[in-house]
Amino acid sequence: MIMLVYFALLLAVTGVLAQTQQTGQTGVLRLRVRVKADDAAPMRGLARKRFFLIPGTIEQNRTLIDAIELQPVATRDCYYKKLGSSAALIDWLKEGDCESVYCRSVDKDFIVGPKAVPEFARAFAASQTEFGNEETARQWVTTNLTPDMRDGFYRIRQRVIETLLKNATAHSVMTDRNGTAYFTDLGPGTYVLSNLVPTELGQSLATWNCEVQVKAGDLATEKPYLVSNRKEKNVKCIAVEKPMPSCAAD
Amino acid sequence: MYCGREAYAKLCRRLTLMTRIKTFSWILCLFLICVYPRLSAADYSKFSHATPKHQAACNTCHKPPTKDWTKVSSFPDIADYPDHDACVSCHRPQFFKGAKPPICSVCHSKTSPRDDVRFAFRNPATKLQFNIEFPHDKHQDVIAQLRFAHRPQGYYNCTICHESRTPTFKAAPKNHASCFNCHWKSQEPVAANCNGCHKLAPTPFVLTDSPKRISSKFIHEGGGEKKQHIAECTTCHINITKAASLRGLKPDVPITACTECHNKDGLRQDLSKELLAIDKNRAFVCVYCHETSVGSLDPPGSHYRIAERPPLKRKDIK
Repeated sequence: MIMLVYFALLLAVTGVLAQTQQTGQTGVLRLRVRVKADDAAPMRGLARKRFFLIPGTIEQNRTLIDAIELQPVATRDCYYKKLGSSAALIDWLKEGDCESVYCRSVDKDFIVGPKAVPEFARAFAASQTEFGNEETARQWVTTNLTPDMRDGFYRIRQRVIETLLKNATAHSVMTDRNGTAYFTDLGPGTYVLSNLVPTELGQSLATWNCEVQVKAGDLATEKPYLVSNRKEKNVKCIAVEKPMPSCAAD
Repeated sequence: MYCGREAYAKLCRRLTLMTRIKTFSWILCLFLICVYPRLSAADYSKFSHATPKHQAACNTCHKPPTKDWTKVSSFPDIADYPDHDACVSCHRPQFFKGAKPPICSVCHSKTSPRDDVRFAFRNPATKLQFNIEFPHDKHQDVIAQLRFAHRPQGYYNCTICHESRTPTFKAAPKNHASCFNCHWKSQEPVAANCNGCHKLAPTPFVLTDSPKRISSKFIHEGGGEKKQHIAECTTCHINITKAASLRGLKPDVPITACTECHNKDGLRQDLSKELLAIDKNRAFVCVYCHETSVGSLDPPGSHYRIAERPPLKRKDIK
């Protein structure tokens, strides 16, 4: 009888310990985002875009998903046109897929000569007067741009993200140049994978909101979770695409 | 007779106690008169930002840029100690105390009215008083978005701050050069707002500049003739884009970052080969990536999982 109780106790303790170990384990979600800007374009990794992982199912996050889908969309082109920016600046930002002027260094070609961006030329002149040194003036050219010109579009998007996540906790990572990103230290459970603010892809805006399961012990060594804007083999999360809105005339 | 002896004993005990109190009082008085003032006197040869009166707005004392910055720096910077006004406004008595006032030695390497030579700013011999607050995630958002289809393989914008220190390790920024080019005057935290990045540490500390390296044979500029190791930093350092602070930041690189090339069917089997070598000789030291101190340990479970094998301990191998 005593032996039986002893074994029962031992079994119970082992069970509790195993469960504790299980609950302590975390998982990894490896994203691979590949997109097509249009049907003729090749499939490519979506570089340097931020993705968010929000705990809970789609139903549990319904309010958030509705808010994501209903939010007014500000595109980069429209923002900078409204600001009265030159076409040269808009093209420069577009060429680097930039959300602010910080994402590319301002080379000499964009200060003087046929490719010059008027905003940079003016800021450079002010920097030259301020810093004396031509190289410092070029490298520090953004310090003499107006705040809205510099990163107003980025700040608007950040405000949208902050508002959306006001009542939610989220993990976030940015994809590398190949469109890969790792969410690490995830507790097991269901999550919603989202980009929260639409990504500009050619002439459309793509939004992802998908349910993902993370198990304890999931590793980055396993097959990546494929995300795309095209329904292809193994793709687990497909974007909802909307045409790029035309800029409202002021 | 009995009562008298007891009263006498009581009196003796009282007197002994009083003598002890008296002796203790004398010692206490001597300590208060001779030793305590020396212990409690402020040491004006040491400056601390933790002193409450030193915690005014940073630009009360540090005024960017340093006067004549062109002589000491290639960019507008805070490259020198504050002017005398910053100290004299409160410390006039200490300034004119004796031939060599200790307060001068905070900034000046020679304490003499005829010599104004100062220590390097900041003085490398003193302990650090501030931690740096740097959100990698925000900076990734705004500066790491370069995308050009035909651009050569590179580290992208990470090199704005992280240049090569050695072929193996990258350097962290040591001055304001990679900060002020954006944060000079209108992008917060601006140069005059030191506290935006420099947060007072609980206690002064010496920076340990050597994070623990596990795969110390790795060379950033390597990867064969094609230099395939030269890639965007976040490809391998997978937690950088989510790091909102430098606290607890580690140079996390998962084994998959290596084995995508170094343990792939038909390509290379560098990991599997060494695990097989351990099977044959449990004292085998893994040397392809590791120094002996690491290579002689049990390979972690992640290594076995990549090789699609159950984990093993060296002691269990016969």
